[in-house]
Amino acid sequence: MPKSTRRQVLLAAAPVVAAAPLAKLALARATEAAPRPAHAGMAMDATKHAAMIGREVPAPGRRGDLAALLYPPKSLRHKPGRVREYTLAAIDRQIEVAKGVFFSAWTYNGTVPGPVIRATEDDLLRVNFTNAGSHPHTIHFHGIHPANMDGVFEVVEPGASFTYEFPARPYGMHLYHCHSTPLKKHIAKGLYGAFIIDPPTPRPPAQELVMVLTGFDTDGDGANNFYGVNGPAFYYAKHPIRVRRSQTVRIYLANLTEFDLLNSLHLHGDFFRYYPTGSSNHFEYTDTVMLCQGQRGIIEIDFAHSGRFMFHAHQSEFTELGWMGFFEVID
Amino acid sequence: MEAGSVARSRLRLGAWRLWALVPLLLLVGVVTLFAASGTSLFDLVGRSPPPLDQFNIRRVEFRPGEVGIRVTNPQRQKLTIASVTVDDAIVPFRLDGPATLGRLRSSTIVVPFHWVEGDPYSVGVTSSSGIESTFEVPAAIETRGASPRGFLGYAVIGFLVGIVPVALGLGWLPSLRRAGARWIAAFMALTAGLLSFLALDALAEALDLQARLPSSFQGPGLILLGVSASYLGLTFVAQRFSAAGQGERSAPLEGAALATLIAVGIGLHNLGEGLAIGSSIALGELALGTFLIVGFMVHNITEGLGIAAPIAGGARIGLRRLLVLALVAGAPAIAGAWIGGFVTSDLLGVLFFALAVGAALQVVVEVGRYVARRAPGGLRSGHVIVGYLAGIIVMYGTGLLVG
Repeated sequence: MPKSTRRQVLLAAAPVVAAAPLAKLALARATEAAPRPAHAGMAMDATKHAAMIGREVPAPGRRGDLAALLYPPKSLRHKPGRVREYTLAAIDRQIEVAKGVFFSAWTYNGTVPGPVIRATEDDLLRVNFTNAGSHPHTIHFHGIHPANMDGVFEVVEPGASFTYEFPARPYGMHLYHCHSTPLKKHIAKGLYGAFIIDPPTPRPPAQELVMVLTGFDTDGDGANNFYGVNGPAFYYAKHPIRVRRSQTVRIYLANLTEFDLLNSLHLHGDFFRYYPTGSSNHFEYTDTVMLCQGQRGIIEIDFAHSGRFMFHAHQSEFTELGWMGFFEVID
Repeated sequence: MEAGSVARSRLRLGAWRLWALVPLLLLVGVVTLFAASGTSLFDLVGRSPPPLDQFNIRRVEFRPGEVGIRVTNPQRQKLTIASVTVDDAIVPFRLDGPATLGRLRSSTIVVPFHWVEGDPYSVGVTSSSGIESTFEVPAAIETRGASPRGFLGYAVIGFLVGIVPVALGLGWLPSLRRAGARWIAAFMALTAGLLSFLALDALAEALDLQARLPSSFQGPGLILLGVSASYLGLTFVAQRFSAAGQGERSAPLEGAALATLIAVGIGLHNLGEGLAIGSSIALGELALGTFLIVGFMVHNITEGLGIAAPIAGGARIGLRRLLVLALVAGAPAIAGAWIGGFVTSDLLGVLFFALAVGAALQVVVEVGRYVARRAPGGLRSGHVIVGYLAGIIVMYGTGLLVG
């Protein structure tokens, strides 16, 4: 657990409401900082990407730790007026962003990114938000909604609550994030997440995944030290994502990295359909997409081959600072 | 009776030592009480800032297929090595030493890495609290371990930049012997000038190096200690010399005795200079060229002149004695090159340069006393003033060759 590091967590001050989402977390990951003795073949691996797979991957977490962030909730069929309710709490928490490296994050429900919020178009979305953190926060959703539900003017002070309620539209891949000032700080600290609105006509069945591109500035110098997908550096390099070749893989992709102008995703060994914002049927057939902060879309892959395929940012620097993973495609 | 009073006065003599312990015991008591109160006292006036969590990266070595990074924890709080980058890329690593370092403890990080000869590299070590410490390597060159070849190499470099120029400079002796008293005084002043230059040069080096030390090593204090130790040490030696020579303790040194003192001062400077050259070569910061070696030779030949000047004004001495003087002044460059090449310790560097400052200053004072007493016209004569300035100008001019 977090040791007495430089920035103390103020969890003690958090109201009781924080306990519920926190309890759901796969909490208490022991921080095994003990170094592993080197093995003989290590020097040979140095030039290959293999240096970043297997035992040497400097990634924190066990297989399945990020399942709640990777696999979205099930989509529901179109039923206008149905209430979809979520509970979110802003919580100050130390998270492990790279193996052995702890970051004093501001989180929604204890993780960075926060939980995946999903609704079908015309659902009435209700998000009960409690600020259990130490700074004023909000939730600003992308999409169409009244001005007083925009999470800009209704600042929620520590200990206070606010309920966001509006019909979910338009369909597509969206996102939510804190809009308190200083904005850069509140996003860099981790207050953001994916927000999926399903179309009235359901999308074809697929193996659905959510990927939120993250960056962490652990030393506060205004530049990210670590990058990743759904949080920790190199997580999916250590724990490749298993998918079946027989069915389409659909990725809800969003870029929330702060400080860098752009982020990207590049898939090895195949092409995919990319639907910008997921809000229409127009797609580009490519293997690389580029996103600025807040930009998002939906990727659909029909893998031609089985085997291990890499995906990563095509900014080599980000790749080597943690934004790299693998698909394990099985027949 | 007599014996009894002696014993009693002995006892009293011992008693003052016992009484001297009282404040120390009281201090222990107060400290214990204060420590027991915890940090509640500090809470009255504010909170301590978080620790910096910066590593002190002391040395980066390049060996075939791997990079070695020596890190020290300079702060009171423990510091854990969590992540390592080379050129902003996270790399797998292993540790020779603990991952969590206590105060002033060190570890070596070994990174399997195919580096490119001559390329600059930026090495980063991130603590478990996410703070990254970086170290810039201007050009990667292979670090040679302590081998007989390397030993010989550094010895040759030390010989060339230390002993050879001093010995050559002593060759001015026959010419100086034929010079008049005014000229001898001028050359003595020149010696003082060049030693002043060396003192300031060494002080700048020491101050430069101490800035790289963790603050707990108290660089400035270390410099003061080094300067005082060598200055006072040499003062003591000088007094012994003059006492042995004339029986008059405060008499200024002259002749061979003064030359020996100058040689010791220059020797200490060359120890620092050798150390700087050796570590620069080892860390790839110094282009090892003929020009550089030639530059140091030209620069250092004036040191030989400095030793020769007082001898010219005194009794004749044998060739063997001259050789010993050349070794005293020049050989430390070899020792320095070895230490710098194989150990590279900023701490030793600071100490050596500080010793050189004190030694050079002491010798300047000693030479000044000699000139004041012996030179026609004393310290204010034109020859002396011009000689002193010439000494600085010569050092500055030849220094351009190695800068």
